[in-house]
Amino acid sequence: MLFAGFALRPIPPWLLQPALDRGLRHVLDRHPDLFERLADLDRPRYRIDVTDLPFGFVLDVAPERLTLVRRPELVDVAATATIRAPLLTLLELMQGRLDGDALFFSRDLVVEGDTEAVVALRNAIDGAGIDLIEEAMGVLGLLAGPLRAVLERAQRVFDAAASDLETVRQAALAPLARRREADRARLEDLERKVAELSRRRKREERA
Amino acid sequence: MNAIDRKVQPMELVCPAGTPAALRTAVDAGADSVYVGFRDETNARNFPGLNFSRPELEAGIAYAHAKGAKVLVAINTYPRAGDMGPWHRAVADAAALGADAVILADMGLCAHTAEHHPELRRHLSVQASASNPAAIRFYQAAFGVKRVVLPRVLTVDQIRALNREIEVETEVFVFGGLCTMAEGRCVLSGYVTGISPNKDGACSPASHVRYEDQGDKLVARLGGMCVDQFPTGSPAGYPTLCKGRYVTGNDDKAAYLFEEPTSLSMIEHLPALQAAGVRALKIEGRQRGRAYVGRVVQAFREAVDDVAAGLPPNARDLMALAEGGRGTEGAYRKAWQ
Repeated sequence: MLFAGFALRPIPPWLLQPALDRGLRHVLDRHPDLFERLADLDRPRYRIDVTDLPFGFVLDVAPERLTLVRRPELVDVAATATIRAPLLTLLELMQGRLDGDALFFSRDLVVEGDTEAVVALRNAIDGAGIDLIEEAMGVLGLLAGPLRAVLERAQRVFDAAASDLETVRQAALAPLARRREADRARLEDLERKVAELSRRRKREERA
Repeated sequence: MNAIDRKVQPMELVCPAGTPAALRTAVDAGADSVYVGFRDETNARNFPGLNFSRPELEAGIAYAHAKGAKVLVAINTYPRAGDMGPWHRAVADAAALGADAVILADMGLCAHTAEHHPELRRHLSVQASASNPAAIRFYQAAFGVKRVVLPRVLTVDQIRALNREIEVETEVFVFGGLCTMAEGRCVLSGYVTGISPNKDGACSPASHVRYEDQGDKLVARLGGMCVDQFPTGSPAGYPTLCKGRYVTGNDDKAAYLFEEPTSLSMIEHLPALQAAGVRALKIEGRQRGRAYVGRVVQAFREAVDDVAAGLPPNARDLMALAEGGRGTEGAYRKAWQ
């Protein structure tokens, strides 16, 4: 999960800000109602803390602006809410590949501050039904190819690692699962016996 | 007898959609029906940024119908006294936009719909909490209800017995978040926040939720009240009062008081539900993203088709998407009795 963030570390922030500006403008030109679901909120500002990057982002939605901020300075930015996660998690969330609630349950994503603003942003991005990363890359020109390659490579590495971890997890849990099934069968057997005894007792009482 | 000989009509798969993108995802993943709500307090998932505008619903219905799926509109909160306007407009707009059915809870709204939109199919919401034959027969006789969504309080055996005594179709929940067995009557969240799940459509409204990352733990508050603390590395749940941990009595250790954060998971028990006469299976989660909708609907599509073909359902592990990371059969198997 850390790979994507490390892969992007050599890219200097001054090079990324113009690309961010162009990417956001390109997405908004194509989807002008992207933040329409946030209309009921009072100009929310989001602090996006990317845990494996030396910088984070500040997202304003009225007017729309995505600003790159060095991570040590991010904490001083006044914001409506904070969203904290590794880069790849955030990217997959923006692509609609991961479920925000599931990430929250597993603690892969942390939110702080105004939860209403976070929920509305999640619904706006997820509800747009678009791959924001792919759309934004449309304007990166020569940078798009290498960046896409880095992200795809990171994704493959992560998928393989996740698969290996899942195999290990299942192997480790298999004896527990078998024991749980055995316990459950035993419990069901006991429940049946208790119910039968209860019925028999009632019949005897009636007799 | 081989699998083909035993093929029966598959149970209808009713899937959630909180946004147009989720609706398209559900339809593409194999939903027979998608249930949605308008972007206001007329439905029980009135969350920020969620739900459908009228034009979005019109487009969503067109998309679903083009692919052979139905759209059911949940108008399942209880109207404010003296202000039926939003609820009456919701029913009228659902009818005008071509919805295949409305899902209602309030008796007055059922009566209004039967009188003014008799051609619009009416389903009884889980929020009406109709769990016995007399209640269901009443809704059928009085308002022409065609289907009842059963509250999550019945065992599979009880559902089978119920189906023998009623004529309307039954729909049951098979996956997703669980409530405290007081469907449509729970006041826990309303007591703390002043916003009613049953009238305003939001349980634990996000506007009243705060999370604090305190380094070694994440503190969840609802209406200023601490409902849980999640140590680093342990799974988190929704900030609902019913799934909070509290210190009670002489025990100084916080523990679950009402219920634990687990998700309903009945994919392995679909054959029993089909044998019990259930007509439709509901997946909870209009508030979830399209990644959840896609994965859960696809898994249940395969499982429902397996069961209809007389095969055991391929029960895919969906627990990574579930609250608490754990599944339960809930009241379908009342292990506590």
